[in-house]
Amino acid sequence: MQRPRIPPQILRLLVLTIVIVTVYSIARYFLTPQSFGMYGWYRAVALDEIAARPTTYAGRKACDECHSEVVQRLAKYEHKSVSCESCHGVGQAHAENPDVAVAKLTYSHCVRCHEADPARPKWLKQVKSKEHYTGQRCTECHIPHQPNEVP
Amino acid sequence: MIMNPQLTNSIVEILPRVEGFAYPNEATTHPLWSVLIVVYPYVTGLVAGAFIMASLVRVFNVKPLEPVYRLSLLTSLAFLLCAPLPLLFHLGHPERCFEIMMTPHLSSPMAMFGFVYAWYLMAVLLLELWFDYRKDFVEWSKAEPGLRGIIYRSFTLGVHDVSDPAVQLDARMGRIISIIGIPSAFLLHGYVGFIFGSIKANPWWGNVLMPIIFIFSAIVSGMALCVFLYMILSWARRTPIDMDCLDQMQKFLFFALVVDAAIESLDWVHRLYSADESIHILKSLAAGRLFYTLLVGQAFCGTLLPLLLLGAIQLFGRQMAVAVRQRVYLASSVLILVGVLAMRWNVVIGGQLFSKSLRGFMDYKLEFAGHEGWLASLGLLLLPFMILAVFVKLFLPLSAPPQGGGLPAMKPSGSTGAA
Ligand code: HEC
Ligand code: HEC
Ligand code: HEC
Ligand code: HEC
Repeated sequence: MQRPRIPPQILRLLVLTIVIVTVYSIARYFLTPQSFGMYGWYRAVALDEIAARPTTYAGRKACDECHSEVVQRLAKYEHKSVSCESCHGVGQAHAENPDVAVAKLTYSHCVRCHEADPARPKWLKQVKSKEHYTGQRCTECHIPHQPNEVP
Repeated sequence: MIMNPQLTNSIVEILPRVEGFAYPNEATTHPLWSVLIVVYPYVTGLVAGAFIMASLVRVFNVKPLEPVYRLSLLTSLAFLLCAPLPLLFHLGHPERCFEIMMTPHLSSPMAMFGFVYAWYLMAVLLLELWFDYRKDFVEWSKAEPGLRGIIYRSFTLGVHDVSDPAVQLDARMGRIISIIGIPSAFLLHGYVGFIFGSIKANPWWGNVLMPIIFIFSAIVSGMALCVFLYMILSWARRTPIDMDCLDQMQKFLFFALVVDAAIESLDWVHRLYSADESIHILKSLAAGRLFYTLLVGQAFCGTLLPLLLLGAIQLFGRQMAVAVRQRVYLASSVLILVGVLAMRWNVVIGGQLFSKSLRGFMDYKLEFAGHEGWLASLGLLLLPFMILAVFVKLFLPLSAPPQGGGLPAMKPSGSTGAA
């Protein structure tokens, strides 16, 4: 009686499978990021990378150092809840070095908040910019830091 | 720069594209899942469908289909090799996107992909192809010189035993593997449907029928692709088309399409009758933003028209001239291929076009040249065809044409199947 033996092609496949699994395991060992799985199924260093990004917003307190009268004026009017940088754009670079100018404001930045949109809360005053005094810049009639006053 | 003037201007641009009520974070023209996530299930679906076509021969012994057996397996492989690419492109970080393959995991459907993919590629497709081709590799490696010979020789893996018992063993293994392959193909594409079906927060997606719809549309599209490729290949090589085989393919395609259309209409009947709170927005979605892709593309051109065409052939096929039948087959397979692509679009993009409030619509502005644009997705759709062209050159040589006795390994398979 012949001893049952593994057919050659099956044997070859078994060897190949072992080789592939080994290669994959080695690749996985080297290609999986070091900190992977420390906290969960993600790279732990991603948190540090995000935290290490340079800040771009300075915050109202920073503006107060040099523009305190604007800050005080603004605090009395309807835009008091709006941060300086949500109109003027990121200001960290400018706050550190005033020679770096903040972005020039265009007409459209008011409609970003005030354009009529049913998704907006009712308490936020809204206008349809296409019907509300078209052709003129908003700031010709509204003082941005004192929006309640119409000059 | 978050608040630069360009950006504020573009936000003003976006507002007119939003219709009705949308939450602020939804008001964008770039949904999270872009057109690449449309291509991804489309390509995987073609893989699964072409494989089912091949297993009709292997497992169910449908003799007339033998000429397309190898072609459909190779098609399946060519598309499977490209299946992860849309995902990797979408991830966007070339330096680390492959990590999705290194860290498979069961907790997220996307991280599960590593398991599903490895199983299907390694344990099913490559094995089945290898057992089927082993004898040919051995013969070709003796006959072919040069680079081709080296390629064939390396594919034999050094096993040159082509005695009768060895070849019979190959056939038996191939059969076992394709029996395992059928549930695997269902799993592969059911899994893609599950990615969407499991999102219960989205009424367009979260639906238990979703995996089943995906499986059947995959089978339909894969079979249509095989029909299309078989005809194109025969014309390109000026080999005669085996009408028996083509008729048979069409028959299966027709039945699969009937089942697919029935399940998809069932889905709609169910949605319309149960009429839960989302039905109004879904109706206006279908009639508005998705009118051309859903009603015109998917329902009319991709389902109704091919059903009529193929149904007519089922009824009056005998009276029709061969040339007419061929044209109709080609036309309907192209229509189905486009229709299923439209279906993927409707599912993936459609699900991101309406607001979570169910009170408004967003828009999708497809970019042209970006890594998630028109051009990239077109390239990703064409790539598998190029790979397939190489496969056909290497593994479907004209000297042993697919017609007739081109499948030496098949004969024992039939006999062991009967035994
Ligand atoms: C270190 C002091 C300093 C800080 C802090 C500072 N600024 Fe200024 N800012 C200046 C000076 C000085 C000027 C005048 C520069 C000029 O006219 O060329 C100026 C000018 C401006 C202007 C007018 C630019 C123009 O084109 O007229 C704006 C707007 C402005 N700052 C906004 C801000 C905001 C917002 C902040 C808080 C993030 C801020 N600044 C913080 C010093 C400061
Ligand atoms: C509602 C949007 C808005 C907010 C909030 C806002 N600004 Fe302004 N700011 C403007 C506009 C608009 C101008 C005028 C630009 C023009 O007329 O060309 C301006 C002008 C200025 C100027 C230069 C002219 C001036 O009046 O002195 C400074 C400095 C300034 N802002 C600082 C601030 C600071 C500091 C804050 C936060 C306390 C702030 N802004 C908040 C919209 C705003
Ligand atoms: C970051 C969002 C934001 C931007 C940008 C903004 N506003 Fe406002 N605005 C508000 C909020 C918040 C209020 C307070 C709620 C209210 O009264 O509508 C307000 C109030 C107002 C009011 C109503 C004041 C009143 O009498 O009740 C006017 C007018 C106004 N803004 C004009 C402007 C103009 C002009 C600009 C452009 C220079 C501008 N806003 C830019 C958020 C914004
Ligand atoms: C020709 C001058 C003029 C211009 C330009 C102008 N407004 Fe007004 N705006 C007014 C006057 C006057 C009122 C108060 C009476 C009214 O509601 O018409 C007002 C009211 C408003 C209100 C409060 C509406 C309410 O419901 O109380 C907002 C918000 C506003 N404007 C925003 C803007 C914005 C944003 C722009 C730029 C696109 C702009 N305005 C341009 C004159 C102007």
